[in-house]
Amino acid sequence: MHLHISWRNVWRNPKRTGIILTAIIIGAWTMLVFGGLSRGMMASTLSNALNTLTGHIQVQSPAYRDDPVIENQIDNPAELGKLLDTTLPGDARWAFRIQVGGVASNARNAEGITIVGIDPDREPGLSFYGDSLAQGRHLTPDDGHGIVVGQALVESFETRLGRKLVLMTQDADRETASRAFKIRGIFRADMEATEKQYVFITLDAARKLLGVETAVTGACIKLSRGSSRNPVDLADLDRTVRALSEKLSPGLAVLSWEQLLPLLKGYLAMFDSFMLLWYLVVFLAMAFGLVNTMLMAVLERTREFGLLKALGMKPVWIIRNVLAECVILLAIGLAAGNLLGIGTVLAFGSGIDMSFMAQGSEFFGMGHLVVPFLTARDILAVNAVIMLLGLLVCLYPAVKAGRITPVEAMART
Amino acid sequence: MENGKTTTLDIVDVKDVAKTYRQGNLDVHALAGVSLSIARGEFAALAGPSGSGKTTLLNLIGGLDTPTRGQIILDSREITGLSQSKLATLRLNKIGFVFQAYNIIPVLSARENVEYVMLMQGVSARERSDRARAILDDVGLEGMHDRRPAELSGGQQQRVAVARAIVSRPSIVLADEPTANLDSKTGQGLLEMMSQMNQARGVTFIFSTHDQMVMDYARRIIHLKDGRVVDDAVK
Amino acid sequence: MEILMAWRNIWRNPRRTILTVFAIAFACVLLIFMLSLQAGTYEVMIDAAVKTRTGHLQVIAEGYNENRKIRKVVADPDGIAAILDQAPHVTGYTFRANGFALLSSEHRTYGGMITGIDPIRESLVSTVPATIRQGRFLGPGDENAAIVGNLLAKNLKIGIGDELVVLGSARDGSIAASVLRVKGIFSSGMDEYDRAGIQIPLSHFQEIFAMGQAVHEVVAMCDSLWTVSRAKAAIRERLPEFSGKHRLACLSWDELTPGLVQSIQMDLGGGLIFYGILLVMVAFSIMNTFLMAVFERTQEFGTLMAIGANPGRLTKMLVYESGFLTLCGIILGAGIGCLLTLWAQHTGIPMGEAEGMLRQYGIPSLIRPSLSLVTATAGPVLVFLVTMLTAAYPAVRVHRLKPVDAMRAV
Repeated sequence: MHLHISWRNVWRNPKRTGIILTAIIIGAWTMLVFGGLSRGMMASTLSNALNTLTGHIQVQSPAYRDDPVIENQIDNPAELGKLLDTTLPGDARWAFRIQVGGVASNARNAEGITIVGIDPDREPGLSFYGDSLAQGRHLTPDDGHGIVVGQALVESFETRLGRKLVLMTQDADRETASRAFKIRGIFRADMEATEKQYVFITLDAARKLLGVETAVTGACIKLSRGSSRNPVDLADLDRTVRALSEKLSPGLAVLSWEQLLPLLKGYLAMFDSFMLLWYLVVFLAMAFGLVNTMLMAVLERTREFGLLKALGMKPVWIIRNVLAECVILLAIGLAAGNLLGIGTVLAFGSGIDMSFMAQGSEFFGMGHLVVPFLTARDILAVNAVIMLLGLLVCLYPAVKAGRITPVEAMART
Repeated sequence: MENGKTTTLDIVDVKDVAKTYRQGNLDVHALAGVSLSIARGEFAALAGPSGSGKTTLLNLIGGLDTPTRGQIILDSREITGLSQSKLATLRLNKIGFVFQAYNIIPVLSARENVEYVMLMQGVSARERSDRARAILDDVGLEGMHDRRPAELSGGQQQRVAVARAIVSRPSIVLADEPTANLDSKTGQGLLEMMSQMNQARGVTFIFSTHDQMVMDYARRIIHLKDGRVVDDAVK
Repeated sequence: MEILMAWRNIWRNPRRTILTVFAIAFACVLLIFMLSLQAGTYEVMIDAAVKTRTGHLQVIAEGYNENRKIRKVVADPDGIAAILDQAPHVTGYTFRANGFALLSSEHRTYGGMITGIDPIRESLVSTVPATIRQGRFLGPGDENAAIVGNLLAKNLKIGIGDELVVLGSARDGSIAASVLRVKGIFSSGMDEYDRAGIQIPLSHFQEIFAMGQAVHEVVAMCDSLWTVSRAKAAIRERLPEFSGKHRLACLSWDELTPGLVQSIQMDLGGGLIFYGILLVMVAFSIMNTFLMAVFERTQEFGTLMAIGANPGRLTKMLVYESGFLTLCGIILGAGIGCLLTLWAQHTGIPMGEAEGMLRQYGIPSLIRPSLSLVTATAGPVLVFLVTMLTAAYPAVRVHRLKPVDAMRAV
């Protein structure tokens, strides 16, 4: 009954109601669309970063992080391997790597690069190495002289498949070591920096170059629950990190991506708070109109409220009635806004190509394709912000209406 | 040319005017062929029950509305078919209005209400001020020139409205039930004042009313019923 | 009189007016602050890139910027210097040569970017000399001396006075080798450069990398960012005279760092979309106020029309009303916005967790908005246009009012 009356009151002035509804709808819509876009950008940035060799978890010597050289190696990888096999959840993947800085050179050029020694059998599926080959072939485990490099590096060295590239680095005895490799494959990555940075050789070739027997510099772990939308399952990650830390010998460190990429974590946190700020700003712009409209609706009914009071209606009831009108307004606005917002996000489900801004998006570490998506939490947050804060600001006109006395109401025309 | 010409004595000439409104699916015949003439200096009342068409007739004469049929000639000028903008100018210069609900501008003081009309006419500031003071004193609002409508009683507000109506020196003042919202004593005072204005300044007044007191003051009473003139008597 | 009426009319309903003024002011404050913040951030980013790396202008061999090969040289730097000496707006220039080499300390070996610089001229163009944290900058007498980025120094585990062995390939394909002594450690604030950069005297660089008299970059600064294009045009005209084996190009800072420009465009574009949406929200928020100003007073407008006011006069009055409202909001908003921005400019805004991330782009830990005539006025002007556009609808609608209907409305 009450709701019925409120519903009619809402539509007393359809034009005014229409305008404020439009404001609420646009507000909810843009909040959702930008929320979805931000989520997409964040996921793109994160999965890009995780794919670029970071993985979810790395096990390495504690000193390696600040001083990534072969000296800070893991001496007995076999033992670690066994432990990983028994401790990790069944759907996780892992592989050993040797990763050190070095210089690549040929007759045309010399550049600083990162040498990545990989296990050709296990690396695919762990990082972009497996699915980004543009030319040639992947490394085989017995390939002692093969190297896979990025397209951008090939261009800047003016070389091609089958040509030679010399790698130089510091070996375990701190002497400069160098060795020639043949380009077997060329990979493409989302970011040019990645193509220029990493060169892949086999673990054995890396060991020979660096003068070590069995050592590796670390193990990289990827928990398979990640998807492009949600690259990290945080609970899973925490559990695994804890389990590994307990069982590992004290000489090793277990680092999650958050520790490995603190800058990225900070960036994502900033993005998150920026989104919330954006919600608030949009809400505030909307709130002024909402309060104003409700205030108008209440004040022009001063006589009516006075009469209701004279008939014995308690102020609380009046407040409740006005709030019910707000709820109706907000609910209609939110329903339409959600429909539009979620619809828009779904319409862009195949992704937005950012390559027209390639260098700009690379600057932010983002992939070229941004697929906007919304989590239930985002949708809930948008609706909660609008509904709860909306009701909060509507308290003002509602209380105002509750305070109207019959006498002053009749005195007004 | 005999139709277009009127004697100079007639300020208003209404010729077979009809007005039909559409209300939902129904045609409402507010006026069904009315003809009458009002001479300069008259103090006339349009009487009749509600729905008889007196307000409609007043609105048509005042150029607020356009007739469905017929001609209205105001001060030797045919007003049917004039544009909105021309009609506004006509109302400004030839017609003064007094309404039942006073309808004075709430944000302006008594004097500003009166001056505003002259301002629109393009009267100089000095003259505006002089004429406004004089007329407000004449309608009996000495010392209340700077009050806002909210600070004036109904009768006083209606006096402001009369002052506003005649300060522009119109050919005719149209008053739609001017006393309906006033108690009889206040109403009588107002009528007394308007009657004086009529006699002293020669301003033509047409009232619409069903107030007996107004009819008592009027020197000509035109009775309307169902959109037709049923009686037209000069006392 | 219309002005007076308009002013009094807006205060007939003070609560509504104040809320509307606040909504307009809110939009102004936000726009002024955010635009100033963006401008401030861009200035710092551009400044960092320009002053540590690119300079305003560079004369380089064509293609050198995309692919920094040691053989793509400017063979006759003195000839270019002569052009620059005559070019308008150029305040200073220097020569640089870059090479990649393996840097070995006693304990570690890393790849690094060696830049040969002119110790005297470099400080005209770059802020690196001013960011020396330990030791000193290079001097005219130095030969095999180097200053090293702080992160690189940490990785190499070296300090002032330590030796650093350089091994690379020279311009002619021979081996470039030298032993340098660390004289200073700099911290430019650009992590990328601090992690890989070392600077040595240009003459020594030319010697070990077999460069002869050639350099890679002639880096010039102009008197301001806005005169760069004029200087560039003047220099470009004369470049053909000096193009030898490699054609020369003159590029400005934005061409030298396309990533920076695009990221600014992206950020600005994103910002503009935000502001657009904000303005639309505000417009709808306040539209009811303007609309009510007409609807509530329909009878009053009817009266005004009856006493002879033509529709134009009513429109004028409504425009005055919305104009007053908007102006009140804008003056309030611009006042608060400017004060807030100036305050933030004075104290700076700490970036918390995101600090490390921003440092990669050369943004310091405190972001300072930069209030300028443009950032202070662009927002309010936009808000003004949008609100007046919003107000136009009811103001025009009043034309459609018919006196009789208007009088009858309650």
